Amino acid sequence: MEIKYTIQGLLIYAAIAAYLSAFLTTFLRRERVGNFLYLLGFIAAVLAFIYRWYDVRHVPLQNLFEVFLCLGMISYPVSWFCRYTLRAGGYSGDLVIAAIMLVPAGFVFSAEPQRLPPALQSWLFVPHVAVYALSYIFMAKATFQAIFQLLAPALRRGYPGQWPGLKADEKFLSAEDATYRMVCVGFPLLTLGLILGSCWGKLAWGDYWGWDPKELWSLASWLVYVGYFHFRYMFGKKYARINSLWAIAGMVFILITLFWVNLSNLFSGLHSYAR
Amino acid sequence: MTEGRLTSKFRRGVLWVALSLILLLIFLSIYGAFLGAERAKNFFSSLPLAVYWIALTALLIVGVVMFHRLVRVPALLLIHVGCILILAGSIWGSQAGHKLQKKLFGIDKIPTGQMLIYQGEQEHRVVLDDAKQIGELPFYVRLTDFRVEYYKPDYLQIQSGQGKNWGIPVEIGREIPLGQDFGTIKVVRQFESFKIKVEDGKNVPFDDPNSAPNPALEVEIRSPDGQAATRYVFERFPGHTRPEDKLRLWYQRIISDYVSELQILRNNEVVAEKDIEVNRPLYFGGYHFYQHSYDADAGKYTVLMVVSDTGLNLVYAGYLMLCIGALWHFWLKHLYSAVTLRHVNGD
Repeated sequence: MEIKYTIQGLLIYAAIAAYLSAFLTTFLRRERVGNFLYLLGFIAAVLAFIYRWYDVRHVPLQNLFEVFLCLGMISYPVSWFCRYTLRAGGYSGDLVIAAIMLVPAGFVFSAEPQRLPPALQSWLFVPHVAVYALSYIFMAKATFQAIFQLLAPALRRGYPGQWPGLKADEKFLSAEDATYRMVCVGFPLLTLGLILGSCWGKLAWGDYWGWDPKELWSLASWLVYVGYFHFRYMFGKKYARINSLWAIAGMVFILITLFWVNLSNLFSGLHSYAR
Repeated sequence: MTEGRLTSKFRRGVLWVALSLILLLIFLSIYGAFLGAERAKNFFSSLPLAVYWIALTALLIVGVVMFHRLVRVPALLLIHVGCILILAGSIWGSQAGHKLQKKLFGIDKIPTGQMLIYQGEQEHRVVLDDAKQIGELPFYVRLTDFRVEYYKPDYLQIQSGQGKNWGIPVEIGREIPLGQDFGTIKVVRQFESFKIKVEDGKNVPFDDPNSAPNPALEVEIRSPDGQAATRYVFERFPGHTRPEDKLRLWYQRIISDYVSELQILRNNEVVAEKDIEVNRPLYFGGYHFYQHSYDADAGKYTVLMVVSDTGLNLVYAGYLMLCIGALWHFWLKHLYSAVTLRHVNGD
């Protein structure tokens, strides 16, 4: 565990505190205050990201510290997009996700600035990591909805609006539909991330597919969502709980790709610099 | 049983097989991840897996033929045909694919290998990946120059016995205070190829441009009581120290790029040239040339990876179709329906 006594660290902690405070307001039914705190947290996260960018002189998406900082920042616009465009609720879940995303940046990973190694000096670096980061947020939100659908029988009458502090609101989709809708948004991003990574691998290492552990876990994550779509196409909502299990399994694979493969010596490979 | 019901049953069966193959590939990917890249590559190129890849490709083709929905919905067609092209391109560009092309069409291309070229020399032999065979390119590759580039500034890393660390940008002549316990430190000189000669019975360091690189710094450490000591800090011997020293020193340079200046020659005439770097390969005559390795000791040669482009266009076409199809099917369709729904609801 590493406490960061820097401006950047303080901004990250401020963002976490704001997100968690916003979450608490949902229990007090103070939605406007919650929205304001959520916005404050987002602004703090944006400032931390910009500060980092200025500090390292390249788009800060090189290592897990920077990726989680980015995830904590983009979770806010993604949350609003899901709410107002996709009609997927789970507002309080979004606040928890946003806070959780910043915890590794705030307490776990080192913020030591690093220069870009030659392999990362490519125009594909930013789009590859950025689309993956975006897809991860959508998939994390989808997983939250899937867990909600699976494990909250008391609230499983269908409206995420019944989550703590929020009134039932029929303008939101049911948890199963919301999961599907968000996986639908996240999946093309996941596909794009995989393909951009493959094209980058071809430019940097000479092969579009190197059978590296990270590549294989990424493929496995992608395939789980492919399986999810096929299963849902075959059975519709007949086995809604199994649909949710597919979505949760996808997130488990993503977490392994992101954490275990990058941090464990068990899977050393070409992507080890992303620690 | 009517023909319609039979078809429906067959389609159901195809979907079950598809789901099974997806699940199988998930498990195989996990297994491959535990093997490590090199062994996984061999595993996924083995005969049983070749059967799997062909079965998957065949199933996708059957799916496109059997499911009218895949033809009616262009986005879904793009996704599935994209996958077929990726698989077909990969199979065609594999080692086995190259062997097959040689047998069937007499096309003799090197699938992948490495070539070592010394500065100023030209080469056309490629050591194939199995390291047992040598292939020959129909042209020569000449290395006019190779260099390693570094980020500026260089850094002098310092660590005290108590574990206190300093990272100081190298700036000749600038005296840096290290606190009252350690005094000051100053970089006096910088060497690219450090050497020592003896003049009048004294060791005199000098920079020898004709010898192998040996980057070093001459630093002057002034203790709090004003005593000065000169130390030489070598990039290749990090943390080297004398028993009486309070500080351990590192000379750190961070590599920003490896550059090989290449020329392609045919009949002793230069037909192409490019400075290749990581992420900037040279493409010529159906091959990509990548910066792969180099002579870390003397910087006299470069190692290039040579990769045939067979099947690559198919794979890229598949990628494009898969991307367009996925974005079209999962985004545009849903966004359109969301916007239409809002419009209908009068939001």
